[in-house]
Amino acid sequence: MANTINLTLKVWRQKSSDSPGAFEIYQAHDIDTDLSFLEMLDVVNINLEKNGKEPIAFDHDCREGICGCCGAMINGQAHGPEHGTTLCQLHVRKFRDGDTLVIEPWRSRAFPVVRDLIVDRSAFDRIIQAGGYVTVRTGSAPEAHSLPVPKIDADEAFDSAACIGCGACVAACPNASAVLFVGAKISHLALLPQGRVERERRARAMVERMDLEGFGNCSNHYECEAACPKEISVRNIARLNREFFRAFVKG
Amino acid sequence: MSSESRCALRSSILRKQIVAVTGLILTGFLAGHLAGNFLIFLGPEAFNGYSEKLHAIPELLWLVRLGLIAAFLIHVITTILLTLENRQARGERYAVNGSKSEESLKFAKKTMIYTGLLVLFFLVLHLSDFTLSDKEGPASMIAAGEGNPPRNLGLYGLVWNSFLEPWRAGVYIAVMLVLGLHLSHGIQSLCQTLGFYRNDLVPGIRKLSLVLGLLAAIGFSSVPLFINIVRTPPL
Repeated sequence: MANTINLTLKVWRQKSSDSPGAFEIYQAHDIDTDLSFLEMLDVVNINLEKNGKEPIAFDHDCREGICGCCGAMINGQAHGPEHGTTLCQLHVRKFRDGDTLVIEPWRSRAFPVVRDLIVDRSAFDRIIQAGGYVTVRTGSAPEAHSLPVPKIDADEAFDSAACIGCGACVAACPNASAVLFVGAKISHLALLPQGRVERERRARAMVERMDLEGFGNCSNHYECEAACPKEISVRNIARLNREFFRAFVKG
Repeated sequence: MSSESRCALRSSILRKQIVAVTGLILTGFLAGHLAGNFLIFLGPEAFNGYSEKLHAIPELLWLVRLGLIAAFLIHVITTILLTLENRQARGERYAVNGSKSEESLKFAKKTMIYTGLLVLFFLVLHLSDFTLSDKEGPASMIAAGEGNPPRNLGLYGLVWNSFLEPWRAGVYIAVMLVLGLHLSHGIQSLCQTLGFYRNDLVPGIRKLSLVLGLLAAIGFSSVPLFINIVRTPPL
């Protein structure tokens, strides 16, 4: 027999980016504790539809914690209370019977709400378009031995590349700053020989775009690191700071 | 200046680095100031002698002063601008504010702008108390021991008499605790902003920042505390 619990959900409902939003309260009855958070929302939505109401809109895709689509604030915590976990990998068993959960979309001027819990994160895409790539002739994969990379650098770059761009860092930051995201993207390229060639141009272009999008400035609260489902370290921010300064000095 | 450099000067990161560098300069000044303060424990000759040496070359003194005033103004104005921008960047506020950070000392980070502004206001009191005050006037007169006629002890006497007023000693000690709080986050913050990310050093830097903040608070508070405990100068 599966365990079930009852939850009270206070969900942000907003029809479109230019209409005002408000919280609505829903009861989630007999929720199987083995369901994921998104599956719980699915159950709530089925009931809403049965009663002729508009289901809660939320972003999701892989539901296995690797795509970066899902995300919401649960009682003020990005992706809910679990560390190193996306919303889709958070399970109902992490909550207690009778809990009230306040569910809000990511809040940032740079991430306008599209509908309910869905926000427009194309600001991140535009930062990547500004310089989050390596301009190389793409052909067949090169011989791995032709470009040796120290193991330490490879590991570090891999950790930075684990960023899925979900936006939890921005949502959790008291200043809605995007430096953990940009730091991770800058780092995974700056650490590898392929990315080093264009590092100055990249640092300038990505930071300029980041500022243009209206994200806040980092003041080293480190809430981003705590909220990141991929546990990206704030070392990436320090590296971004250094890369940017290096680009400034080199002119 | 090239257009790229001007653009960089408006950027979030470079402005933060300007705050970090000016913060470092001001921290260096505080270290020197604290070392000078400790001379009060050695008596009026050592303390007043140090003060006279500082004033020996007025041109140099004013050069340093102007540099410090510039660093202070840049630090304050930039942080106020950054803070205002940060408030705007959130847009709609959260109904519930939570945190996933397990750090226990979040108070210092959250209050940087307020602790900083408090130190700014304190500076007005501090400069009018000592720097701009008459150092050879009646406020410097101290009677050393019973029955001795009062002597003019210059800056030493002025500091001693000022701190004998309990409200002033209290205000100074309170503000020094606030300054310590500011430094406890500030020192590690400037290292991060200037790009120190070595795994083997960062935990040490964070601890050092806390210790230095605490030492500054204790060090600066020690003078008014000492004066209020001893009451009459050990001459």
